[in-house]
Amino acid sequence: MSLKSYLIQPVKVYFTALLIIGLLMLALLIGNLYYQTQSIQTSLQQKNQQQAQEEMSFALEENIINLTSNLLELAEWDEIRQQIEDPTYYYFWHEDRLKDSPYFKNHYTQLEIYDDKKWLLMPPTTDNSSDDRLPLHIANEEPTVIFTSEKEAFLHMFEPVFEPNSKTILGYIGISVALHQNLLTEHEFAFVNPDSIRFIGTKPITLSELGYYVEFDPITNSVSNDLWQLINHFTAYVIILLIISTVLIVILFQMLFSGPMQTLSNYIHQLKKNPKDAIEITQEHFLIKEFEELKHSIHDYHRDLQTTQHALQTQYKLVWEQARRDALTNIYNRRAFDEAWNELVATFEYNPSNITFILFDCDFFKALNDTYGHEVGDDVIRITAKTIQKSLASEYPVYRIGGDEFAIILTKIALHEAFGIAKKCLKSLKKYNFSGIGIKEKLAFSVGISHLEHQMSKNLRDDLLNLPRQADIAMYKAKQSHQQKIQCYKSQLEQESLSLVSSQVINTIVDAIHTGQYINMHLQAIHSVNSDTLYYESLIRIQKEDLLIYPSDIFSVVERRRLEVEMDTQIIQQMLNAFQSNLIPQNTGVSINISGKTLLQPQFTELFQPFIPYLKDYKIVIEIIENTLIDHMEYAKTVLNTLRKQGFLIALDDFGSGYSSIRYLAHMPVDIVKFDMSMTLALDADEKTKNIIFATAKMVRNSGYDLVLEGVETEDMLEKAKQAGATHIQGYLLGKPKSIPSFT
Amino acid sequence: MQSCILYLLKCLSICLLSISLPAQALTVVQKIPTLSLTAEANYMAGEQGKPAVLILHGFLTTNQFHTITSIANFLQSEGFTTLAPTLTLNISQRRNLLKCNSLHTHTMARDSIEIEHWVQWLHAQGHDKIILIGHSSGSLGVLEYLTTHPNSPASGAIFTSLFYLNAPELGILDDEVESARMLLKNRINKPSTYHFLFCNNQYYATPQSFLSYLKMDRSYTLKALNQLTIPSYTIMGGADKRFKKVGLNWLNALESTQTNLIVIEGANHFFSNEYEFDVQDTLLQILTSPPLKEPES
Repeated sequence: MSLKSYLIQPVKVYFTALLIIGLLMLALLIGNLYYQTQSIQTSLQQKNQQQAQEEMSFALEENIINLTSNLLELAEWDEIRQQIEDPTYYYFWHEDRLKDSPYFKNHYTQLEIYDDKKWLLMPPTTDNSSDDRLPLHIANEEPTVIFTSEKEAFLHMFEPVFEPNSKTILGYIGISVALHQNLLTEHEFAFVNPDSIRFIGTKPITLSELGYYVEFDPITNSVSNDLWQLINHFTAYVIILLIISTVLIVILFQMLFSGPMQTLSNYIHQLKKNPKDAIEITQEHFLIKEFEELKHSIHDYHRDLQTTQHALQTQYKLVWEQARRDALTNIYNRRAFDEAWNELVATFEYNPSNITFILFDCDFFKALNDTYGHEVGDDVIRITAKTIQKSLASEYPVYRIGGDEFAIILTKIALHEAFGIAKKCLKSLKKYNFSGIGIKEKLAFSVGISHLEHQMSKNLRDDLLNLPRQADIAMYKAKQSHQQKIQCYKSQLEQESLSLVSSQVINTIVDAIHTGQYINMHLQAIHSVNSDTLYYESLIRIQKEDLLIYPSDIFSVVERRRLEVEMDTQIIQQMLNAFQSNLIPQNTGVSINISGKTLLQPQFTELFQPFIPYLKDYKIVIEIIENTLIDHMEYAKTVLNTLRKQGFLIALDDFGSGYSSIRYLAHMPVDIVKFDMSMTLALDADEKTKNIIFATAKMVRNSGYDLVLEGVETEDMLEKAKQAGATHIQGYLLGKPKSIPSFT
Repeated sequence: MQSCILYLLKCLSICLLSISLPAQALTVVQKIPTLSLTAEANYMAGEQGKPAVLILHGFLTTNQFHTITSIANFLQSEGFTTLAPTLTLNISQRRNLLKCNSLHTHTMARDSIEIEHWVQWLHAQGHDKIILIGHSSGSLGVLEYLTTHPNSPASGAIFTSLFYLNAPELGILDDEVESARMLLKNRINKPSTYHFLFCNNQYYATPQSFLSYLKMDRSYTLKALNQLTIPSYTIMGGADKRFKKVGLNWLNALESTQTNLIVIEGANHFFSNEYEFDVQDTLLQILTSPPLKEPES
């Protein structure tokens, strides 16, 4: 299961998230409890309000009934009639009798008797101007509620006084009732807060409207209030507890987990940043045993890792040295040179300086090798390496980059200094007495120098990359001279070597080699002698418009410019395209020529990997020239056998053109030997030469190789080739090279 | 024991009579022109030939007072015509007891006028023989009426629980009397509270009203009894608590007058309980027998 990258977060983030989620859930729970309680509280308050409303309505209604009843009793009281009939002593009666009688209630603020015309029986004894006083005349018998500016309400009620057993009205009685006092004295309120009762009217109203003008608060439910208070306290306690718990959890988390993890993380980070340093274990102690153990484990693991790493580094150094040391001379080999050169190239732009490239080569070394044997040859190589190294400061290593080719890279010195160094080395070599190893001839060495004055360079990188080739050119020049064995590269050296080729041809060749344009691969048939099968040798041509350039010119330019690898790469690519485009006839095959330089490239075998699918239908032959193979026999064996195992065939090209050593013949990593054209032509030479050719051909055949004779141009030569034992014949007689497109 | 059995038997007989006599008493409403008042009385016509009896209630009560209703019901059951008025006490068609602290403006004279009105009314109804029964101060009202109306058509009077009203032993205070008299003299008829009968310093009355009743002192009462021109009976409860104030010699004083004194031993002022029947028996006996004492002509 793939894990999203954003899910990978520090433990603090997850802890905080979990803490927040936990707190949110608790807050939700408490909030819900609070909300539910509040709902109950609100519901109770509403119920209280409703009950209070009902109670108030009931109280008002009951009061009115009681007041009406009292009023009716009053109307039937004999003494009322007594006063109506004879009000002589009304004031006395009113003041001394009435208020002591059970008919007069405490909440009556006034009780007056009116005559049958509804006028007060007697003028009022007290100030009658205030609003709450009963009127002098009854305008309306309906009960009326009067409000005073003091927010008090008075109910004025009137009742006719009838003659006993008659409907004759003798008069009226009127009462003024202090409603607030009346409500308080007549009722024990269970739901209405008596102190909160207030009347809000201003103008007189009828009794039926009274309900709208009375305001009150319900008695708060003490149980509910206590519960509500309890919930509030509980909520507050829980919140405080949560805060304290959260702080404690955070502190504990920090102490127990986050702190140790951070410390360990920092420790690991330090180890990661400084893997080679011995970092002391933190002195901090953790409360959790596992962290404490982990701390020691990490420390111990790192210590062990360092020990192992140290051992590995030592081992690696050894291996590295071994891989970069030439077994014969114990100086740095080609691999070491490539790495040093690549590093120089990589860092040069950032740290440019004068660079001098010096090549040493032993003249006629192959001949020497063949003459005195490989042991002596090897001694020559060893001595040469040792002598050059001795002549150099220790900071400048000598690299063996080829069989008898040595290279030195000098930095930060001027050309004349480099020249002096080269001269010193050459002088030492000249001085050396090679007769001690049995060499009678005087050995000659050629030295090629190329130099880059970085302050003069316009293109540092390209100029640097050109140094090996330029040194090679200079050395080539030195080889041609008997006196000037040290040559410094100058541009005219290139001109000299290419003087026979026109600049147009050169440009076309170089362009073609670099871009692949204008290359027109040709195929020349190689026929089997014993069967009808054939395969083709791929031959390079470069054609730009009407200009057709042949291999002699191409190789001349490529060799002088050291473009062998580039050219081989283009040829391989062209042939791969031919296969991919089905331009190669079925049941045939192709042989591809490869230079020594390409063979020595680390990625050589990879160049042929794209051809593997075609091996089952085609014969694919890689042609290596004799000198290359013999010069790098051990390395070539490894590389070529790898390709052979994959199904490729290896052909030894131009056999007999160099210093072919018969002793290698039995162990060469090849399947086919191609005689150099000079050997084919030698079949027409004298008998002795012819016999040597025949004997050589026989040896080749007896060694189990196929034998190809090229350059067969006549029937006579064909016959002789067959007699010599050739398994395959190549030559104009059997077919000239043809452009690949012509095969389609 | 014997009296208890007798009491039960009488209760039973009254119940049976009540069932057998479905007739209801009428409320008679009468305007008394001279008083500008309307008065009420319960009237029940009895058998022809039997006297009509006017029964007058005591101080501040009405005709619904239990002693009055008991006597009236009994007499009605015996076939007598009864008339039980309620003195207005200056309140038209008064229905309820007046309290001590009610305003009292009524006078003995106005009470006599009302009694006269009812006696005349009875007479006008064709009752030739009218017997007046008074209870307590109602007896004094009847006595004063007979004194002040010598030509009354009443042919006899029965006084029950007859006492007098004005005496220090009855709680009358001289300074109050003097004060009332001064007020009246100065024509200041302002009501005041007085000690009168059972209304200890609570009797709220005008001086005129208060003083009108003080007329009925011991001597005036005895004298009035002696001056009656019709036969009279006086029935006293032997256990009346007022004797504690006036002394038992009041019975002797009564005995010494023309009235025929009958004392029911054990009975209280109101002849309550089993003594209710004793007084009824006594009344029946009086009403159905010739008088023991004839007034001196």
